[in-house]
Amino acid sequence: MSRTVLICDDAIFMRTMVGDILQQAGFEIVGEAETGVEAVQQYKLLRPDLVTMDIVMPDMGGIDAVREISSFDPEAKVLMCSAMGQQALVVEAIQAGAKDFVVKPFQPSRVLEAVQRVLA
Amino acid sequence: MNSARYAELFLSESREHLSAVNDALLELEPGRPPDDAVRSLFRAVHSMKGMAGAMGYSAVTELAHEMESLLDGLRSGDCVVVDGTTEVLFAAADCLEDAVAAAMEGADGSVDCSAVIGRLRSLSMGSVPDSDQSAEPGVPCTNQGADDAWFVEVAQAPDTPLRGVRAMLVVRKLESIGDVLEVSPTLAELQAERYDDRFAVRLLARPHVDAAAIAQAARSAGDVASVEVWMPGERPERAAGPSPQEDVLVLSSMSAATASEESGEGGQPVEFRPQANRATRSVRVDVRHLDSLLDVVGELILARGRLRESLGTALTHDARSALDHLSRLVGDLQTEVLSARLVPVWQVFDRFPRLVRDSARSLGKEIDFAVEGKEIELDRSLLDEIGDPVVHLLRNAIDHGIETAAERLAVGKPRRGRLTLSAIRDRDAVLLRVADDGRGLDRPRVVRRARELGLLDEHSQPDDEDLVKLVTRAGFSTAERVTDMSGRGVGVDAVEERLRKLGGSVEMRTSAGKGMTVTLRLPLTLAIVRALIARVGDEVYALPASHVVATAEFTAARSRTLRGEAVLLLGQDVLPALDLRTLVGMPAGDGAERELVVLEAGDRRLGLVVDELLGEQEAVVKRFDLVRGALPCFSGATVLGNGMPALIVDVGRLLT
Repeated sequence: MSRTVLICDDAIFMRTMVGDILQQAGFEIVGEAETGVEAVQQYKLLRPDLVTMDIVMPDMGGIDAVREISSFDPEAKVLMCSAMGQQALVVEAIQAGAKDFVVKPFQPSRVLEAVQRVLA
Repeated sequence: MNSARYAELFLSESREHLSAVNDALLELEPGRPPDDAVRSLFRAVHSMKGMAGAMGYSAVTELAHEMESLLDGLRSGDCVVVDGTTEVLFAAADCLEDAVAAAMEGADGSVDCSAVIGRLRSLSMGSVPDSDQSAEPGVPCTNQGADDAWFVEVAQAPDTPLRGVRAMLVVRKLESIGDVLEVSPTLAELQAERYDDRFAVRLLARPHVDAAAIAQAARSAGDVASVEVWMPGERPERAAGPSPQEDVLVLSSMSAATASEESGEGGQPVEFRPQANRATRSVRVDVRHLDSLLDVVGELILARGRLRESLGTALTHDARSALDHLSRLVGDLQTEVLSARLVPVWQVFDRFPRLVRDSARSLGKEIDFAVEGKEIELDRSLLDEIGDPVVHLLRNAIDHGIETAAERLAVGKPRRGRLTLSAIRDRDAVLLRVADDGRGLDRPRVVRRARELGLLDEHSQPDDEDLVKLVTRAGFSTAERVTDMSGRGVGVDAVEERLRKLGGSVEMRTSAGKGMTVTLRLPLTLAIVRALIARVGDEVYALPASHVVATAEFTAARSRTLRGEAVLLLGQDVLPALDLRTLVGMPAGDGAERELVVLEAGDRRLGLVVDELLGEQEAVVKRFDLVRGALPCFSGATVLGNGMPALIVDVGRLLT
């Protein structure tokens, strides 16, 4: 059975790109979220094996979403998606419970390496 | 993975560590700065302790622990190397080897290490280790618990995105297996990326977390180029012995080239670059797999031969090119399998410095021992066989060749004798050479013995070469073992015997008063040889091509009888002659159109007369032990391309 993933990003472009990378690696995309609030709701509903989380999103950012998800499920595997120059925010996200991060622009190999580390 | 597999890994790594221990102990003499030697000793013993602990071999663990405590004291300067330290550690190393062997046989704890542990402890306590517990209190050798924290140094991959955050992830991973006491530079500096892609962590690891586990945890954070893990005072150096990285990658072994490439980085800490690593990654394989793989390749070569033979010349162009392709592939496979079986000679050589040192010491001789060509490779099965002969030759040189310091000074030689063991690659052979600068062959005794045996007349004065020929002559050394008395050359016949079995030969050179050199010539592999196929009557025999010097047409004009012996004239040379028919007990042929093969082993030659030469072939050697009464001039058998069996002629034996 393939692993399930929830993709959280406010940009359709980024969701599609991350989705393609993960689909090619055999993941099943069970949900997509455009806001932090949606991300938390969908996580509770879908219980995916993996979450990719953008940091900056409207209506509750990625960091708060991670915090909520982690307090709901400490075992949640959240991979942060960050832009260059956001190290402080990534640090915060990790302290909030994210397991790893990738930096845009995404390289498929780097994304998959990070995913493997998160799921290891 | 099962426990048997772990046990094998444990055993093979323990051997490497024990070898490193013995090496390092040779460096550890009173008065010398102990740093490097002590550090490599500590590392090796520490690794063994960790492995034995993981295997549950408590006796091995305990002994390793006691050794480690003493070494830790030496390392920190709480203890010093005194007369006897080295001896006790040597004894402990021997005991450790025995304990490992016992543990492997399921009898952990059956070796009594209590005496040596007592001596180790009294040394740790700072007392002089006289044979028994002379419990004279000295400076105790303390082991501070606070010093139990590991140093972990991490180098990040170049171009790591958000490397400061990544570094933090590394620290978090380490926090999951112990307490992080210190991060340098600080976490804040790391996050601000005010560091140059390298940082260090002091980690008080949880129990049973070893260096390998620590390195693995650090790597699991991602984008880590290298990790070094060490205990205080034990900064790893690439050149000496296994380092934590090799613990991590149990399956990795660094080639000499990579090692030197890495050490070429000046003062920089050792790198473990992913690329270099990939080039030298290796897997431990049970040698039995290699043996059966080689058997299969052997069968494949036979099958190829049969296929060629049965298809004959009636082949389409396509079929021929397919067959050629197949042949090349089989050849490539053979090369690969044979090279996979090669192991560097240091695996055997590394125990010799210890042996030489011990023997020299017990005889009160001063000897400088050098080993050259450690990296030369030899087939695994051969390497197992050459240990004894080489030990034999080294012992000979030490016991009988090299003189005492007083004797040497009296004849104007340097006080310390020189003994060299070298491995040299020579085309499809490997030479192992033992050379000393001692007194050489005992001329008067050899001459006297030769005269007694009637091999030498009263007045002739043999030169050095004649002496060697006399000594190695069949029946000479065995007749009364002159060499047992003179010492020099004891059992050279035994060495020759062994080498012949392996398809090799022995050469000796001596110069009275100046020393002696014995060279063992070995084939690269035992399993497959190129052979010249010879026919007599309707039987075929295989002559190993490495011994074939020349072939020629045999004519009656070449044949002579000299002092009752058949000889052949070949150009300027006069060779002893032998008819293969005579050798195998076949009646003499009609004498028409026969052929001649010149065989050579060591510096001896022989002309072998055969009915016909059928060309060269790869011969897959099936060795056999000679049955009583069998002709002793064959070393094995092979199956030819046409399916016919053929005996392989033992050229070395023919020529003695």
